[in-house]
Amino acid sequence: MLRESVQIRGESVDLSGVTAGFKEQQAIAHAPLLAQFAQAVVLRDTQQVADLRGQLLDLLGPAAMVDIAAVVAAFHGFTRVADAIGIPYQTAAKGLDAPDVRQAAGINEFFRIKGA
Amino acid sequence: MLLGQVDSFIISSTVIVAHAVNEEETMTSEAGSTSGPAAGPATGPINGFAIRRDLVEAHENAWARIAAPGTWLSGAVRVEVAAEVRQATDCRHCVAIKSALSPYGVLGEHETRGILTRAHVELIHRVFCDPGRLTERWTQTVLARQPHDGSHGGLTEGEYVETVGIIAMVMMMDAFSLGLGLPIAPLPAAQAGEPSRYWPPGAKKQAAWLPLVEPQDTVESDGPLYPNPKAGYIYRALSLVPQTVRDYWSLANVHYLPGEFVYRFDTTIRAISRAQTEVLAARVSALHLCSY
Repeated sequence: MLRESVQIRGESVDLSGVTAGFKEQQAIAHAPLLAQFAQAVVLRDTQQVADLRGQLLDLLGPAAMVDIAAVVAAFHGFTRVADAIGIPYQTAAKGLDAPDVRQAAGINEFFRIKGA
Repeated sequence: MLLGQVDSFIISSTVIVAHAVNEEETMTSEAGSTSGPAAGPATGPINGFAIRRDLVEAHENAWARIAAPGTWLSGAVRVEVAAEVRQATDCRHCVAIKSALSPYGVLGEHETRGILTRAHVELIHRVFCDPGRLTERWTQTVLARQPHDGSHGGLTEGEYVETVGIIAMVMMMDAFSLGLGLPIAPLPAAQAGEPSRYWPPGAKKQAAWLPLVEPQDTVESDGPLYPNPKAGYIYRALSLVPQTVRDYWSLANVHYLPGEFVYRFDTTIRAISRAQTEVLAARVSALHLCSY
């Protein structure tokens, strides 16, 4: 999904950022900061969340901040649903998450795939 | 939209205060793209943020649904599941599991509220703390047909799926609050009533660890389930309990994107670009070791 959302604009994205953390890149504005905020929420680091929220507010504004928090929160749910029910990962994103994408993103190292 | 700090406003089914403001619809369009429908005007200030009205309403509805009798669980048990999800945030056994190389070799007990069965607590805590390392074998240990010790039975498949739906909804709403620096919503009062005990006749265990209803196997009594006949497995995952599908997606769609926009990569209906949305999605998923 990430790759498709960038490719449609004729640009590319370094998918290793999915697992390693994103570096600044032209294709996606503020990608490193967004990824750091996502990580802070996952780790429930309230101080870090507050610090990063302040930076994102300054850069993108409150409406964007609400949507950022909403998306981060959404994937706290999606991951639980997918992994607790054990749906087949090979079909994710209608097959757009092909093996080469999983390899580039580092997802093939995850427990469920490596242990399969 | 920053309307000043008003810390006393919180999102909940009972306390939401919707001060109507003249907000522009939260719809943006990337260069050369088309625009989708908007979410409606935002509500009034909540900790300085004008929350989209569809988000506020979705949270209200979600808490109301959690409080109501479900398909296999009473309202009281459903609210207790939500409480146990929050309890798991302070569970030292969960921390040990998460940090262990072998998550199923960690000795100890979850720090629980002590109301739900051990199987129920194990499901809630492990789905909360280490979802990326769940296995089908572990799933079987919390199901009734293979009780995981002699002291109690496990859960039925319906109870399992309904519980997962509640966990996901509570985690979504609480993570949203954390992200915006809002207090978490108070738990609702449980509603009386009997679970419906509806088993969808087309459900079968085939593609996933739990039975689900493929789009071609739906029947009228299931009620509306999928946005289209090709809905992906993430939509089908909770379909053993059709009401849970509707409850969960009523919330998830407004947090992420409605189904009709998921594959329209040239369109954004949010105040961030689609690529920014997917950075957040991918990073959260990766940190949970989610391969889907």
